[in-house]
Amino acid sequence: MPDKRILEMKGIEIQFPGVKALDKVDFDLIAGEVHALLGENGAGKSTLIKCLTGVHHMDKGQILYDGKEITPTSPQAAIAMGISTVFQEINLCQNLTVAENIFVGRQPMKRGKRIDWKAINRRAEELLLRFNIHIDVTRPLDYYSTGIQQMVSIARAVDVRAKILILDEPTSSLDEKEVERLFDVMRDLKKTGMGIIFITHFLDQVFAISDRMTVLRNGHLVGNFLTDQISKIELVRQMIGKDMDVIFALKRPTVAEGAPETLKVENLGIAGRVENVSFSLRKGELIGFAGLLGSGRTETAEMVFGVTRADHGAIEINEKPARIRIPVDAIQHKMAFCPEDRKRDGIIGDLSVRENIALVVQSRRGALKPMSPKEQLDLADKYITMLGIATPDADKKVGELSGGNQQKVILARWMATQPEILILDEPTRGIDVGAKAEIQRLMLELCGQGVSVLFISSELDEILRCSNRVIVMRDRCKAGELPGETSRQEDILQVIAEGSSLEEDA
Amino acid sequence: MKTKFDFSRIMKSKITWAVIAELMILLVCLIIRPEFFQISYQESTGMLYGSLIDILNRSSEITIIALGMTLVIALAGTDLSVGALVALSGAMALKLMRWDMSEFPTAGDYSITPMFWVILVALGICALFGSFNGLMIARFGMQPIIATLVLMVAGRGVAQIITNGRQMTTNFAAFKFISQGSVLFLPMPIIITVVIFILMSLLTRKTAFGMFVESVGINPNASRVSGLRSSLIIFTAYLITGLLSGVSGLIYASRIGQNDSNNAGINYELDAILAVVIGGTSMSGGKFSLTGTVIGSIIIRTIITFVYYFGVAAEATMVFRALIVVVVIVLQSEPVREFMGKRRTMRKVAMGGELHG
Amino acid sequence: MADKRIRIKRQSLTNRIFNPKHVMVYATIGVFLLIYLFGALMYGDKGFTTIRTFLNMFIDNAYFGISAVGMTMVLITGGIDLSVAAVASLTGMFIAYGNSVLGMDPFLCIAIAMVVGVGLGALMGAMIHYLNVPPFITTLAGMFLARGACSLISRESIAINNAAFDALAGWKIYIMKLVDGEWVKVKPIAFVNFNVMLFLAMILIGAYLLKSTRLGRNVYAIGGNEQSAKLMFLPVAKTKIFVYAFNGFCSVLMGVSYALYVKSGWNLALQGGELEVIASAVIGGTLLTGGVGNMLGTLFGVMLKSIIPALITFAGNLLSWWGKIATGLLLLLFIGIQRIVVTYSARRKGSCR
Repeated sequence: MPDKRILEMKGIEIQFPGVKALDKVDFDLIAGEVHALLGENGAGKSTLIKCLTGVHHMDKGQILYDGKEITPTSPQAAIAMGISTVFQEINLCQNLTVAENIFVGRQPMKRGKRIDWKAINRRAEELLLRFNIHIDVTRPLDYYSTGIQQMVSIARAVDVRAKILILDEPTSSLDEKEVERLFDVMRDLKKTGMGIIFITHFLDQVFAISDRMTVLRNGHLVGNFLTDQISKIELVRQMIGKDMDVIFALKRPTVAEGAPETLKVENLGIAGRVENVSFSLRKGELIGFAGLLGSGRTETAEMVFGVTRADHGAIEINEKPARIRIPVDAIQHKMAFCPEDRKRDGIIGDLSVRENIALVVQSRRGALKPMSPKEQLDLADKYITMLGIATPDADKKVGELSGGNQQKVILARWMATQPEILILDEPTRGIDVGAKAEIQRLMLELCGQGVSVLFISSELDEILRCSNRVIVMRDRCKAGELPGETSRQEDILQVIAEGSSLEEDA
Repeated sequence: MKTKFDFSRIMKSKITWAVIAELMILLVCLIIRPEFFQISYQESTGMLYGSLIDILNRSSEITIIALGMTLVIALAGTDLSVGALVALSGAMALKLMRWDMSEFPTAGDYSITPMFWVILVALGICALFGSFNGLMIARFGMQPIIATLVLMVAGRGVAQIITNGRQMTTNFAAFKFISQGSVLFLPMPIIITVVIFILMSLLTRKTAFGMFVESVGINPNASRVSGLRSSLIIFTAYLITGLLSGVSGLIYASRIGQNDSNNAGINYELDAILAVVIGGTSMSGGKFSLTGTVIGSIIIRTIITFVYYFGVAAEATMVFRALIVVVVIVLQSEPVREFMGKRRTMRKVAMGGELHG
Repeated sequence: MADKRIRIKRQSLTNRIFNPKHVMVYATIGVFLLIYLFGALMYGDKGFTTIRTFLNMFIDNAYFGISAVGMTMVLITGGIDLSVAAVASLTGMFIAYGNSVLGMDPFLCIAIAMVVGVGLGALMGAMIHYLNVPPFITTLAGMFLARGACSLISRESIAINNAAFDALAGWKIYIMKLVDGEWVKVKPIAFVNFNVMLFLAMILIGAYLLKSTRLGRNVYAIGGNEQSAKLMFLPVAKTKIFVYAFNGFCSVLMGVSYALYVKSGWNLALQGGELEVIASAVIGGTLLTGGVGNMLGTLFGVMLKSIIPALITFAGNLLSWWGKIATGLLLLLFIGIQRIVVTYSARRKGSCR
């Protein structure tokens, strides 16, 4: 492979209000290679890409493209230079045909100012044939699977004669065959000398297709590795890192001998999303869910709580079968759920802290038995004090609080319902260290009071320090179950990296 | 805390600016035409008279509908069928009072059906059609504009079928009382509006219904996770709006003493939506204010009355309405709000009033 | 997916014909034919099947059809325009007042109306795009403004008496047939007038714009997914402003056509007409959510909407307000079909390949 650097980014720094999003990050791309860009959420991958495509402007640093210094000003300018991006979401129009999606905005015209439909269809066909895709391009895009659609968006990106192709999590919604097909295309493109930046959370895929990888963590460059010189375990360690910040001593909950099973999940799943998940949870116990993003952790939690409806399997609560189709059912069974996406599924931004805290209690009582403002206020004040929510008063809009405090408000909302089973999906993500420690302490305190907790986190450290048992998810399935007390980080990494190397055994 | 006098909170309040706008319009009236403010008492009818009373009286049809529309808009929807339901309600009432006019060919102080049933059936049919809207939107997930468009088009036809296309007149005193009567020196429509306003306030603020509506309007996902049954809430809002359109239709029919399927309630849907938006409830849903809506409706009527008072053609008030809409929507639009500065990143913070907060 | 044929088989003709995207248009045409057949069976003896009856349906509804062309485009972008009837009414007032009171040439009045209508449309389009105001509210303001302006001009109906204008209104092409080597008018006498020609011309122009220009395809792309359209760097702002301006143009033409039809201007003319126009487009298969619709559908939507009053006239004893109910039911029917088509395509996608 000729070692021709088509892209060099040196000492990139980007400052966002309050955070340094990127701190002296270097990155380079060689013509004809697939370069994986890795890191957990918030590591700075997308910020780096957005800096390259002109969405964000860097505060310091230098970008060399084909040896010349450039300052991308807009995504359009980037495309004009030959830097194309394909995102996870399909940014095409479902109502147009495949061929048209590739050519809309730059259709070949016949004389007399008419669109040359024949040429569009012919050229689209040829283009997709290059990718070894034989489909009827005159059908509307929504006729085809997500995999094909993803390929079509790559075809559109490539047809503008790109030198650099950025694939931002293109495989998240593809099945195995489709991923294979995509990799074939990527290999073909490599041969033409195109440089491909590949962002994904699936480590298997990284090892299958990439030549080199760059790992980021918290806006810093961790390292640059050749794929054949690094093991999966080592890579996972590099990505996740050790969380040295939290030094608070945390005591794992003690589960009473013979404590009753509060929640039992058997072979629960939704075809294509997450399948055959089984586990049980005892009174006062804390189970940690580990696994990389997209491994099926969140899907499991949502399914158990009825946010999405499971299409197979069964749930038992307090040793009785329970039907959970919508969240209302789960709440009736004294369950509580702090969702992963605070903004989308958690806070009601324009309502006050008081109303947000009272919401679930109120919804369980029904509209006709309203809480008086005094009751709401007492409830809110109680939890504001208990959780140390930093707000001037209970009537402040939740949307105006910081992330950590919003998280506490959601926690308060559910604690106020006196739940028996608490599901926490990444409750500590994106909040500062102090708040993080407080939420962990609170979680354990609740276990002490007999609440069963299901705790999902990307940080192995915190999972290992808090959980009685750890369930490891991988590729939308349960990959293994480990005892919390005696396991080390390496054991979890092993399961994540190797999959079914440990027998499934409770 | 709530009890403390908090100036900045008052300035932030959505309705503060609507009130100020109304007061400014009145101030202009006061300067130009002081007699605009005269209120006199007429002993023969036991009622107060004057332009201000007239504004309140005449705004009641829109206000009543707009109170229901407030819930619908807070849920990020719209109801286009209210105008047609106004016509429908009037047609139903007149039909019940006159039937087929064979028994009593001339209008007079009589009704074939007891007053109680006239009101009940007229309101009932509107509630029924309102729940039809609610069903299509909440259960079948149709876009509110499309779902209510059906009744907007067909509703007047139904009204004409009920009356067999006839325009019927009545002088039934009990029915005329709805618009001409007075209680506590005030015209009946004002009293009805006040009663409905109180009922709606009780419904939304003395139960948790109002909070649920806001919650679903602001963030449907999070509301669902929090255990709210959003389809039931949405259904109820459209049902209420249908019912209130019926009330408005009765007042209108009583005022003109006849049914008029072609012209009753024309453009009411637009005025009601406008009143809600002026009152500080955003079209994208969320926080709502019934008081704001009432003020919004009064503002519209004040301008119409004021302009009319100066001898401008009634229809020309449309131009002024258009100007209000433009000013309001420009002030509320995202780019302008951003431009006006220091808005937080929240997408759904709404309302012109807050601009200055 | 594993097929490695070199030759790609385009979808068969039947597949293309039964493409769910076109189902709406077929439904419209099908329902139209059904109703026509019904009318032919019931009132064939009274002359329902004559060319005259058929053409009269066009003559009586051409002005709605003209506006439906612009409206279809607006709806495809996912927008809506409530101002069309008011702008048409304003055009009528311009012509009537300008000609009868100020003594201006009616065609100069039309030109002025054109500037005003297109300008208002472009302004509304700009507000919708740049200020991100819901189209419903923006065009509501436009409607108020135009109606108000009508009333400011005059509150009376004003007749138009102008020779050139009358000539245009009276211009006809008779339908002839060959009898014994000689062209004679068919009996009963049937003809098309300027309005019908204008309507058909606008349908053709609309079809050309939508099918064969980049601008037209951008209209579909925006309606399909505005966010994607932006990310594909299509000129979203320009397109949206053009579409509303073009719709303003169509509204003015509707006003001209209506003025030719009634030969007067009135401030309350065509009240509620915007609904008729929107209903025609929706019945013709245009999705109010945007992205789907075409001119053939709109043509038949207008025809389907006009056959009902025609039928009611022939029925004689049936009352005219059944027309409104029938329109409502048709709307409901077609919205139902749309729902089913959309759900069906979504479900089929999951199982495909």
